[in-house]
Amino acid sequence: MEQKTNATWVVYLTFIVAFLLAIVPFPDWALNYRPQWVAMVLIYWAMALPYRVGIGFAWVTGLLVDILDGSLLGLNALALAVIAYITLSLHQRLRMFSSLQQSGVVLAMTGLYLMMTHWMKIAANQAVTSDLLFLLGALSSAFLWPWLFVLLRQMRRSFSVR
Amino acid sequence: MSLEYRIAAFVVFSLAVMFADSRFDYLDRVRFALGFLTAPIFWVADTPARVSYWIDDVFVSHSDLIAENQSLREELLFARRELQLLAGLASENQRLRALQEASASVEGHILTAEIINISSDPGSRRVLINRGAQHGVETGQALLDAYGLMGQVVEVLPFTSWVMLITDSRHGTPVQVNRSGERAIARGSRGEIPELELEYVPDTSDIVVGDLLVSSGLGQRFPKDYPVAEVTSVVHDPGQPFAIIKARPLAQMDRTRHVMLLELPVKEAEVAPLDGSVPDWIDVTQARKPEAGASADPTARVENDPAAAPQEAALATPGSDTPADPNAVLTAEAPSDEPVEDMPLPSELADIVPELPAAQD
Repeated sequence: MEQKTNATWVVYLTFIVAFLLAIVPFPDWALNYRPQWVAMVLIYWAMALPYRVGIGFAWVTGLLVDILDGSLLGLNALALAVIAYITLSLHQRLRMFSSLQQSGVVLAMTGLYLMMTHWMKIAANQAVTSDLLFLLGALSSAFLWPWLFVLLRQMRRSFSVR
Repeated sequence: MSLEYRIAAFVVFSLAVMFADSRFDYLDRVRFALGFLTAPIFWVADTPARVSYWIDDVFVSHSDLIAENQSLREELLFARRELQLLAGLASENQRLRALQEASASVEGHILTAEIINISSDPGSRRVLINRGAQHGVETGQALLDAYGLMGQVVEVLPFTSWVMLITDSRHGTPVQVNRSGERAIARGSRGEIPELELEYVPDTSDIVVGDLLVSSGLGQRFPKDYPVAEVTSVVHDPGQPFAIIKARPLAQMDRTRHVMLLELPVKEAEVAPLDGSVPDWIDVTQARKPEAGASADPTARVENDPAAAPQEAALATPGSDTPADPNAVLTAEAPSDEPVEDMPLPSELADIVPELPAAQD
């Protein structure tokens, strides 16, 4: 108990890596399959450290995503805040879930995230895609979730992030 | 529960921020400031591309370099020849315009840039370039590559800028058929393939497959007469009120990395003194008016360039190896190839001519 540091830098580092992965250029055909890295990392940390990563944290993260995307300020912030809210209110159940169940929840949440940003873009006249192919990003996120979960849990334990 | 109150507060706050950002420009400063934070992320994300370019540059054989140098030199010679013809045409054009008292349409400076990222949003076609407010980029500047018009700057961050490509479905480019002068608006396609669609073109219009579309300059955004696209299909459907015309952009949207930013045409007259302090701007001005308000700076530049060039030539001549004479002379003369004024006065000719022998001996 003499350890003073909370190793919160690990949290920030994972978010920075998620930002990087979110803007790495993809070929045109793969754009719709881009996993929602920031949302996934946020879901993990909100689930593991609900007292540290909350709605405000998610909002600021979303604001940075807005700048990275060049989208309307507050758009991703709102969507990520909602994701954080859902995760926080479910976090005790989420921890008990098997990884398949967690993947299902991640599928629903990233799908909701993509849907919300899509709606807001339509409302702000910023999107014109008529199809819903962008929801494939939720599928790839759910597919990658178990590996990301194991990786982040390993990081949290070895750096004893609290 | 406090959680519900907090999320409600954040939702309301987000909506307010979005409304403010879309309607007013209070938040542009916030956006700009946050750009400082995100610039390193873009820089890191671009690292693989930069490293691969660096590897391409470094791990290349000497003979390849020589061959490349040779071909580039030849290409430069051809380009210079074309430029000479162009200079003649430009000055002739200038005179004809002067006869008609029409305003000159040739614009000034370019800034080279590199595309460092593309938008991750599947619904939009935008790219990020590595020039921002620090380099004097402004919203509305046109982006070109070596083959044609690419797009325009829509958002300026401290070190980077977002450029909306002309193939974005929210972008319309005023174009003109080079052959017939027919005008139209080329809108980015909504489909998966990045192409352009000409909107509201009547069936009777004179546009055929293979026509070159150039920018018409009507929107006051893009300079006139830059190549934009090539018509790839023309369909006359009796059930449709307008012809369905598609065009392929000439710019290499998804292959090129090196691009050029054009200076805003309006800015030229006002901020001419600035270009001395910003070294990145390359001077490609084809027509300078001596009676312009900021005449001190252009004339200073005109005097500087030929003065510096013969010095370099003179430095090169004492060395025994001067086989590159024609090239050296060409490059040395290059700045004076530009039509300084459309009709040099005899006194100015006397200034220019004596420099040629100086460069040859």
